[in-house]
Amino acid sequence: MSDYGSTPPPPPPLPSYGIPGAQGTPPPNYLVWAILTTIFCCLPLGIASIVFSTQVNSKWSLGDIAGAQDASVKAKKFAIWAAIAWAIIAVLYGIAIAVGLANFNFNTGTSSY
Amino acid sequence: MPVLSGSAATALTGSRRALLRPLGAAAVALVGVGYVGAVDPNLAGHYPTCPFLAITGWYCPGCGSLRAIHALAHGDLMTALARNPFAVVAGAYILVAWVLWLDRTVTGRPRRWLAPPWVLYGVLTAILMFWVLRNLPGWTWLSPA
Repeated sequence: MSDYGSTPPPPPPLPSYGIPGAQGTPPPNYLVWAILTTIFCCLPLGIASIVFSTQVNSKWSLGDIAGAQDASVKAKKFAIWAAIAWAIIAVLYGIAIAVGLANFNFNTGTSSY
Repeated sequence: MPVLSGSAATALTGSRRALLRPLGAAAVALVGVGYVGAVDPNLAGHYPTCPFLAITGWYCPGCGSLRAIHALAHGDLMTALARNPFAVVAGAYILVAWVLWLDRTVTGRPRRWLAPPWVLYGVLTAILMFWVLRNLPGWTWLSPA
């Protein structure tokens, strides 16, 4: 049909479809947990968790499977620690309410939480 | 593994049990949103103040998210955006992520794709900028007040 001379050689087969990095099932990056953590208190833990989530994606895209899995484990750890910290704060607040200390310093007009 | 009679039921057991996780997460989220919708975070004393705000006096990226969820539960998107735009966007993302999770669970296909790293670096940068800017004068549209 076209007049470009002989057919060009077929391009070399792609290493994988889509991602240039590692193949297979990537480890979870727990980004949802990291973002939930950032929204609902435990801020330093949430930011750290997002950093490790990002590392999962970047290391995976570079083909560093072990590094991505390591970052995934760390992201999960921070999410769990954040949940524990959240539970501790919730329990402390519950105790404060039960003991009757609750309203002493929360009357700022709005509760910004 | 519970013993079920019938081979079809046994074959379905795995996927049914796997479905418990996304459905359970949705149930927990609905209960949480329902609670925040019913117990008004605009009134003092209903929820603890953000620890970061209480200690430093500065807003954190999550400040205003309870009131944003309360507004969303009442269908008030504009108020929700005014309290915490990040919480609204994050809520939409979490909804999409949940649908994809449910799809992976139902079809049994593992995750095959991760977002390119620059997307996550962008998210991280945006959250850090949001954190700083909402504390600066003149950026009241980002502050939770």
